[in-house]
Amino acid sequence: MRVLTPFLFSLALLLPASLRAADAQETVKKVCAACHGVDGNSTDPVNPKLAGMDQEYLMRQLKAFAAGTRRDDAMSGIIATVDTSDFAKLAAYYGPQKPAPGKVLDAQLAAKGRALYEDGNTDSGVPACAGCHLSDGKGNARFPRLAGQHPAYTLKQLADYKSGRRATDPLMTTVGKRLSADEARALAEYIAGL
Amino acid sequence: MLSRHLLGLLLGGLGCSLALASPPQEGWNTPYAEKTAALGLKGDIVRGESAFVICQGCHRVGALGRSDGSYPRLAGQHATVLIKQLSDVRSGRRDNLKMLPFADHQALSMQDVADIAAYLQSLPVPASQGQGPGNSLARGKQLYERDCQVCHGRQGEGKADKFFPRVSGQHYQYLLREGGLIRDGKRRNAHPDMVQAISSYSDDDNAAVSDFMSRLPVDGR
Repeated sequence: MRVLTPFLFSLALLLPASLRAADAQETVKKVCAACHGVDGNSTDPVNPKLAGMDQEYLMRQLKAFAAGTRRDDAMSGIIATVDTSDFAKLAAYYGPQKPAPGKVLDAQLAAKGRALYEDGNTDSGVPACAGCHLSDGKGNARFPRLAGQHPAYTLKQLADYKSGRRATDPLMTTVGKRLSADEARALAEYIAGL
Repeated sequence: MLSRHLLGLLLGGLGCSLALASPPQEGWNTPYAEKTAALGLKGDIVRGESAFVICQGCHRVGALGRSDGSYPRLAGQHATVLIKQLSDVRSGRRDNLKMLPFADHQALSMQDVADIAAYLQSLPVPASQGQGPGNSLARGKQLYERDCQVCHGRQGEGKADKFFPRVSGQHYQYLLREGGLIRDGKRRNAHPDMVQAISSYSDDDNAAVSDFMSRLPVDGR
């Protein structure tokens, strides 16, 4: 028993997380996977990759969809069918999945995006994205992972911030309003390659 | 005739209501609740570093600003100065439309302001700031010693308890721009003595003194 105690103790620590992830499987298969994939790497570029995102961040977004501070034609309807008590399980399931790398199709555009991502636009007051999202774009609980995301999805988020459909962060609303359409396209392209 | 009389009445009324609406003349550093409260909070350097993350997209990592003057250096500035300036921007006493959404009450709490100020004051000031062309330093020195040194100090170190900013280590282009704005009465929270002191400066004078300030020694840490 003396030998087993540390083992049992660490098992107990592990149990809740694995249970949660296991619990989530059914909802993932029935509800989420059609758009986000079983492994959190969506294939349709309008749907975000969730793999590798911070769990706390994912949790906040699920709550925002439920509360209506974030709106989307597909998600706003679907979220109503998910039990709020499943949110934590889903975040715990998708967050630790391995993110698939994205692809840059237009290297010239991505180079423009890189300059903006690292230095911002001092004329229009767009801050460098790297200030919050850091140069690697890998994200944390406070600022989402951007690295490898589908350009179509990144572009939609910037547009939604601008229009107010996504009202989860006033700073990003300002950024969305200050970015030109060309700048947004360049950023989305660069982010795909991070 | 009647309409002219009516117009006079209307204009008179308008002038009267404008006079009533304008707030009592405020001094450059008159206390107001928000600033006083932020100055009274104990700033925490570690929390400040975390809160500053949303500022560094513009002011850069280490708060070193940009040598083109678009964003000033904040590293090593006195916490009192930073709290006054930040509170002035937040409360509409200093105009900065670019910065406002990133510094308003939605973005930063009062405690964030105090924490960020403590963090910035603790940062090293490397001697990498942008400098001027160096073609009128003698004139710049003369002006600085005559008009500026009394408040901003021999080394440009400023005076924390008087809310006089440190100017050493600051980018030339930023000093140049703000000097012009203050001279022209466009920085509403400027010290009247400073406005007075530089009111007769030509653009060349402003450039010369800005250049001199940009070359004052920094601690170089």
